[in-house]
Amino acid sequence: MSDEAPRVGIVLVSHSVRLAEGAADLAGQVSGGTVRVLAAGGTEDGELGTSAEKVARAVAGAEAGAGVLVLPDLGSAVLTVRAMLADMPGARVVLADAPFVEGAVAATVTAAAGADLKAVATAAEEAWHARKL
Amino acid sequence: MPASSESITLTGDLHARPAGALAVAAGRFAAKVSVTAGSKTVDAKSVLGVMGLGATSGQQVTVSADGPDAGEAVAALIAILSEATRVGG
Repeated sequence: MSDEAPRVGIVLVSHSVRLAEGAADLAGQVSGGTVRVLAAGGTEDGELGTSAEKVARAVAGAEAGAGVLVLPDLGSAVLTVRAMLADMPGARVVLADAPFVEGAVAATVTAAAGADLKAVATAAEEAWHARKL
Repeated sequence: MPASSESITLTGDLHARPAGALAVAAGRFAAKVSVTAGSKTVDAKSVLGVMGLGATSGQQVTVSADGPDAGEAVAALIAILSEATRVGG
């Protein structure tokens, strides 16, 4: 795996601007900063909620040529992401069912190692089984 | 398949950033790589697993690998553990 190969991008969709940005910051730092991790938090005017336009912009920004993994914070963000994906046919985007912080960190670290989109999605979803204690 | 193993005594706690650096590096090798601290052994390619080790300063940590590039993987991870845990974070 060449270091120049494009990495899978990560989009963190949260109802909160600050939660999405904080998780993106954490995942970016833990993985060494080589992966595009974009936050899509809050509504267009920065209130609590989700925005399909924000998610679409983040997906476009995270795409480096290897696809994009989208992680929602809560189930209700899934509706927004699904609506957005329906408007982007052909986009190489996978929606992951994973715990938000752990999934973001696991996915970003796996992407930084050069893994493909499927492996990055699997890393995020395996985060359900990671114990802290 | 060649196997390789090496131990190191940590000079700092294994916090989030060194755990991330370790997992990113491990993920670049074809070999299966594991890290053992105390009674816990985890997949070195799983950052959450490495963080869950709770490895602390002064503790002995063992890196083991099995696969075509096992020797290189162990050397790379031992180097990261010796550097990264000195800084913390």
